[in-house]
Amino acid sequence: MLTATSLTKKTPDGRKILDRADIALEPGKLLALLGPSGSGKTTLMRCLSMLDAPDGGDIQLDSHVYSFPLPAGAEGVESIGPKPWPRVTAVFQQLFLWPHLTLRENCLLPCKDRAAGEAALEELVKQFGMADFIDRFPNETSGGQRQRAAIARALVLNPTYLLLDEITSALDIEQTAKVLQLLELVKAKGIGILLITHHMGFARKAADTVVFIDEGKIVESGPAGILDKPKNKRLKEFMAAVKLA
Amino acid sequence: MTVLDILIKYHDGFLQGLAVTLQLSLIIWIFGMGLGTALGMAGAKYKLEIGLPTRLFSFFLSGIPLLVFLFWLHYPVQAMFNVVIDPFITAAFTLTIVNIVAVADLVRTTVDDFPKQYILAARVCGMDSHKTFWRIQLPIMFRQMLPALLMLQVTMMHTTLFASLISVEEIFRVAQRINASIYKPVEIYTALGVFFLAVSLPINGFALLMKAKFTRNLSES
Repeated sequence: MLTATSLTKKTPDGRKILDRADIALEPGKLLALLGPSGSGKTTLMRCLSMLDAPDGGDIQLDSHVYSFPLPAGAEGVESIGPKPWPRVTAVFQQLFLWPHLTLRENCLLPCKDRAAGEAALEELVKQFGMADFIDRFPNETSGGQRQRAAIARALVLNPTYLLLDEITSALDIEQTAKVLQLLELVKAKGIGILLITHHMGFARKAADTVVFIDEGKIVESGPAGILDKPKNKRLKEFMAAVKLA
Repeated sequence: MTVLDILIKYHDGFLQGLAVTLQLSLIIWIFGMGLGTALGMAGAKYKLEIGLPTRLFSFFLSGIPLLVFLFWLHYPVQAMFNVVIDPFITAAFTLTIVNIVAVADLVRTTVDDFPKQYILAARVCGMDSHKTFWRIQLPIMFRQMLPALLMLQVTMMHTTLFASLISVEEIFRVAQRINASIYKPVEIYTALGVFFLAVSLPINGFALLMKAKFTRNLSES
């Protein structure tokens, strides 16, 4: 399990952007994180991936608990426990594929065991339909192709938890559908997925858990059914706005 | 007398001038790129201690015409300290300083502007800082910087012509002297232009090729 308890994050001027957030991600499950713009979704994801250290709270990654804030002088999460990556890994809204490498090289560079990486990538190339463009540079491919490559780069590392930040925001409907279908495959591999998304249809269909965040607080969470019968006023307003849109 | 006739008749002089120009260029390139890169990297890392003074010096230097700087080091400074320094050394020193500052600016800007998200992506993939630097940061920065660096070095080679004004026997001064004796400015300066084109164009062309090959729209990645 990847469990965060009472996570808090503040801006340099002291404003809370994450306020005692609790969230749990199980291997093989898909958690959809929803909320309006500026509600703290990306901050929560970055804290959960431990790329940004929270100002308070605990994150338990399987058996190890990382407690925050970091002690004075500590430069990163590596100073308080084993490096959490790539067991927990993330794909960002802007994919940050390294531009000087082909998509294949992008996927293989982080692999410690090159041969195992190549074998895993070959399988992903088939599953994700990437054979036609895997040897191209990122700037020679479409947004959807880059999206698939970014997910493949994360999966080659055999993570237990995959955190995805609005990865379909720049794609058209058809490309989005393809990427979301791939997530079903990823989930079937036993990988826990946290997906920040605005695709309610996909969240309803595929999410095991839906978490709604507003102003840095988790205001409602539960099975996908909460989207149809929200209890919290903010989630009701949000869903009403989604219907209007 | 054609260009070829002049080149054949005065080939000793031209070759000597060419050797001086190339020596001067090599000194400027080697020390400028070596020390400039080190200074730029240090300036990006130690922003207050090294970056700020370097930027201030660069700002100050950008306000002084190169020729004034060269003359100032050649006459007033030597008179102040009551020393006489070989003009070649003065020219090499002056132009190297200018190149160091320019290269340091270029390197520091490239390092500062490096998209940190690429490092973040490497970190979240479990890569250590050593591998991230050698396989991600350095190649991307090198590719971003190379075209501008090459073009800067061509410009620096062109600035060696100013050394003729403090009596350095480089190719331009040799050409002036030959012209003074035979008065064939069209042929002589055409030959000089052809020489600089022959050296500069391949480097500039290579820089443009590198730019086209390496420069990526980073926002697409």
